[in-house]
Amino acid sequence: MKKTIFKTIKDLPRHHPLGAGTPACGGCGALEDIKLFCDILGEKTIFVNAAGCMTLLSVYPFTPFRGSWIYTAMASAPAGAQGVRDALDVLIQKKRLRPEDDLQVVVLTGDGSAYGMGLSATSGAMDRNLDFIYLCYDNEGYGNTGHQYSAATPHGAQTATSPEAGGYWGYKKDLFSIWAAHRPSYVATVSGSDPLDMARKIKKAKDLKGPRMFIALAPCPTGWHYDPKETVAIGKLAVKTGIWPLKEYIDGKVTHSKKPLSKEKRPGVEEYLEKQGRFAHLFKPRRNDELLAEIQARVDDYWDNIP
Amino acid sequence: MYRIRFHGRGGQGMKTAGRILGTAFFLAGYEVQDAPLYGAERRGAPMLSSVRANGKPINERGIINNPDLVIIADESLLTLPAAGVLPGLTSHSVLLIQTDQSAGTIKNHLHIKGEVLILPLPPDEKTTGGMALASASCGAAGARLCGLALDILEQAVRLELKTLSPNIIEKNLARSRQVFALLPAGIVREGKEIMAGWQRPHWIDLPMEEASISAPAIHGGATSLNMETGDWRILRPVIRTDDCVRCGLCHVFCPEGVISLTDDGLPEIDYHHCKGCLICLAQCPAHAIDAVPEHDKGGKL
Ligand SMILES: Cc1ncc(C[n+]2csc(CCOP(=O)(O)OP(=O)(O)O)c2C)c(N)n1
Ligand code: SF4
Ligand SMILES: [Mg+2]
Repeated sequence: MKKTIFKTIKDLPRHHPLGAGTPACGGCGALEDIKLFCDILGEKTIFVNAAGCMTLLSVYPFTPFRGSWIYTAMASAPAGAQGVRDALDVLIQKKRLRPEDDLQVVVLTGDGSAYGMGLSATSGAMDRNLDFIYLCYDNEGYGNTGHQYSAATPHGAQTATSPEAGGYWGYKKDLFSIWAAHRPSYVATVSGSDPLDMARKIKKAKDLKGPRMFIALAPCPTGWHYDPKETVAIGKLAVKTGIWPLKEYIDGKVTHSKKPLSKEKRPGVEEYLEKQGRFAHLFKPRRNDELLAEIQARVDDYWDNIP
Repeated sequence: MYRIRFHGRGGQGMKTAGRILGTAFFLAGYEVQDAPLYGAERRGAPMLSSVRANGKPINERGIINNPDLVIIADESLLTLPAAGVLPGLTSHSVLLIQTDQSAGTIKNHLHIKGEVLILPLPPDEKTTGGMALASASCGAAGARLCGLALDILEQAVRLELKTLSPNIIEKNLARSRQVFALLPAGIVREGKEIMAGWQRPHWIDLPMEEASISAPAIHGGATSLNMETGDWRILRPVIRTDDCVRCGLCHVFCPEGVISLTDDGLPEIDYHHCKGCLICLAQCPAHAIDAVPEHDKGGKL
């Protein structure tokens, strides 16, 4: 079997199966992530999509997908994926579908679903070792309904439901570890701003079976309040400052595919935060040194504990 | 009752313009309704916001079909039937457009019976497509044309923008005053009450159709290509091919996937679908992409 290795940008697919003309916001980071998933997974897919911004991609009779797509309630995409997978298996068994025409089942959900009300259905699907790919595009809030906070919202971010100075009082849930504790085939974090790392991980997952789980950072100009052209720059800063670790879990081990520079050399979290209106209250009208130091300390603490 | 419709694109600030005007009316003692209306699309797609203001309780609801004043933030909407900016305009209504074209051109070209006014884009905002202060500009225009007082408008701007930094609030206030001075006071006349009381709706019977006719199965993929999201743009990315180093980064990072590469690696932008997010411009290491305001490209009207 020929192995595709993504060494440079030029090795990435030239053709994008995902169609243009979608209703997603200009500069949407989630769309960027999904585009690359479609590039690598190809057209033989069926997306099982929980309610969120991305369900607007397919509003009858328009769809950007070349394969199939099905809509589910927020909590139920993994259950929907189970039904679709079972149906495909039955069809193959009954010889009504040739194995080579089988489809890759892909759950597509936002963080509101993945970190919150969809977590139990996801846990069950991993328990049953469902053969599927799971993509959570993480825009750190309930984007579709006006950006209320979710369990993925970072500490201190202003949202529609945490509008006061000081922002969200909670802390972003460690979904990666919760998923990895189920010991599925594969878990990874990715960022559209690092397409090579992302392409390699999708390709790796594509060649495996069982539950293959992704959390993709999805900067959101509308909910995070920044100019749409900054989407990629903000994604890159999330990785460089160490706020968004790029890692994978496979065969019982967690490895980091890219590490930020040492504490002394890497840019401070401020560089990432100050680009976004949702964190503007940390800098204006007065600097909130205490909260900035807390956010920095949490990031440093994470990396101090990575061998 | 005053009925005002604002038209813009998601992200341009027409929801806030409607709120500023609604709040100003409220502070002036009116009963007020203000509400934005979006389609399924998001930032960049046409949207509208409606304001009703009356000296007594308002019994009307929904979209305004018979506006006394229509304010358009983005002239590219004029030629988009889906944006619905012109319906309901009569010789009674006033139309105000943010544009650098003349009122006469627009009036003649679109055969508008009522008064047409223009609001020139602020000179220092030409490069941003004139949208940074659009909420204040259009909100203030509404207040002025309906004859509200300047101090009430300023209070409304402060209330609606209170989460922004003092510096930005000041800029918006300065722009509001500027607009106030540019436009004539109180030329909009209140429209008649239409609904005296409850009226029986005109029911229309729609015969049932077979599902296969009313909602046929779609077997082709990527039908979204039929949606020309290119008309969402305010700024157009233009590649200077001489300066392009053919790294392909714009092709990789375009979230829409609308930048393709020719066989010799030169990027080409599909302007029918490019939404104008300008990630390509921000990521181009050779700085070979310029942002050109759509209204400078001509040919829109
Ligand atoms: C059970 C349920 N509650 C609420 C909603 C309304 N709703 C639709 S999309 C959405 C936000 C989903 O957030 P997320 O999963 O993060 O996706 P995003 O909108 O950010 O893409 C909500 C609350 C719903 N569809 N179902
Ligand atoms: S609100 Fe955010 S996540 Fe949703 S479509 Fe817009 S940019 Fe994308
Ligand atoms: Mg979300």
